[in-house]
Amino acid sequence: MQIYATIAELVAAVTAEDVSLSELMIRQEVANSGSSRADIWAAMEHNLDAMAAAVKRGSTGAGAFSKTGLTGGEAIKLKHYRATHQSLSGDTMLAAVQNAIATNEVNAAMGVVCATPTAGASGTLPGVLFMLQERLKMSREQMVRFLFTAGAFGMVIANNAMIAGATGGCQAEVGSASGMAAAAAVEIAGGTPAQSAEALAMALSNLLGLVCDPIAGLVELPCVKRNAIGATNALVAADMALAGLTNKIPADEVVGAMKKIGEDMPQSLRETGQGGLAATPTGIKMKLRIFGQDRNLE
Amino acid sequence: MTANYKSVFDIIGPVMIGPSSSHTAGAVSIGHAARKIFRAPATQLTVRYYESFAQTHRGHGTDYALVAGVLGLAPADPRVPDALTLAQQQGLTVQFIEMAGASPIGHPNTAILTLSNAQKTIEVAGCSIGGGTIEIRRIAVDGFELTPRGPLPILLVWGAANNDQIIQNKLAKMTNIIQQKRYTHAKRQLVEFDLERNLQQHEVASLQASGAELVYI
Repeated sequence: MQIYATIAELVAAVTAEDVSLSELMIRQEVANSGSSRADIWAAMEHNLDAMAAAVKRGSTGAGAFSKTGLTGGEAIKLKHYRATHQSLSGDTMLAAVQNAIATNEVNAAMGVVCATPTAGASGTLPGVLFMLQERLKMSREQMVRFLFTAGAFGMVIANNAMIAGATGGCQAEVGSASGMAAAAAVEIAGGTPAQSAEALAMALSNLLGLVCDPIAGLVELPCVKRNAIGATNALVAADMALAGLTNKIPADEVVGAMKKIGEDMPQSLRETGQGGLAATPTGIKMKLRIFGQDRNLE
Repeated sequence: MTANYKSVFDIIGPVMIGPSSSHTAGAVSIGHAARKIFRAPATQLTVRYYESFAQTHRGHGTDYALVAGVLGLAPADPRVPDALTLAQQQGLTVQFIEMAGASPIGHPNTAILTLSNAQKTIEVAGCSIGGGTIEIRRIAVDGFELTPRGPLPILLVWGAANNDQIIQNKLAKMTNIIQQKRYTHAKRQLVEFDLERNLQQHEVASLQASGAELVYI
């Protein structure tokens, strides 16, 4: 089974074989899975359609609301704001933010999402992708390829470090998603594989150390808005890479740093709902309101 | 590097009911593995949670997700959040216990499932390593105490020695066998194959056609 161990290997392979990152990922999947190329393509289209449906659901009507009342309807607020105001960060950025928030509001409402790489980080990639669809007039084929490229980088991160908040904090979830989205965005914009790696390195470096501190242990606060930052951070990193800026610390070493930081992170900040924002007076009040008196562990 | 994530769809996917890929979609998969290993309708499920699972299972919907898996629902099935009600209707009693202390299988997202009916009891210790991908690190079934490496897929073959030789020959044409372990209990045998890649449905069917009693998770 051929699995690329490092981002450097991935970049070297596409350069040597003169194929795109997405094509390399598709060929690897065909070789490793025993499935046909057509089936693999169709499975990724299915994932793309699930992402599109989540963005639409969160951005339509009143939006999506969670049972707890902690999150919901804020993608719609952004939609109205975009329609009626001249925003500070620009409509392109806010379109990405709206898509990201819409997706994670649907996730918090126990709706259907596509984990990219996780459900908690499921808004970051679609945040970038569906904004770029309009801005770059992407074809359906390009959108599917965007997901294969993002997946290729995500596999390296997941196999070398971690993608679970419980093992590595939010840097492993939204940080990984942001790096994946940045790398895929660079490829769609015509950048080189090396620039994709730089974009990933910058995006992930910017989110290193980000803890997982969900209020009441729910994937709502601060998760929904962290995806807004994951998406916009990806776009900024992609633009920096396309402009020729470099991270200086190579992408593989950034992934290694994330792993070490995750391992050093105290348990209270790794998806236990016990530290950070979850441990603030307001966070604790919310938890008590939702779950009643806290039970002690046996 | 241990390649736990072998497919692009481990990273882009699964399509699932929220809110957490590790605590919800992964939990469905752990429940599903237990269901397959039990091989019969169960009447009692006891779940012991450790670490992050113990602290956040209620908020993440881990309870209904595990039960959904035991009932055979897919991660994207809209009935996943209603699995506790479904269990009640189907005569499955469920109990959840939050354990203090460290996971006995060394992962913060650990659930140990005990599944039983009037005839038998099994225990499956699973952990959800992120993005919906799971590992099964301990299985107690039919008196056998299995300790797999963790990563799926795993194939369990019951019965006589020549049985697993036939399976082994067939498997070798499909994928690499990373590890093969033979367990014996009361003169019976069970062989565990840890496989390099997921098998296609028709491949599992072809293995089953050999007549051996097997479970593929």
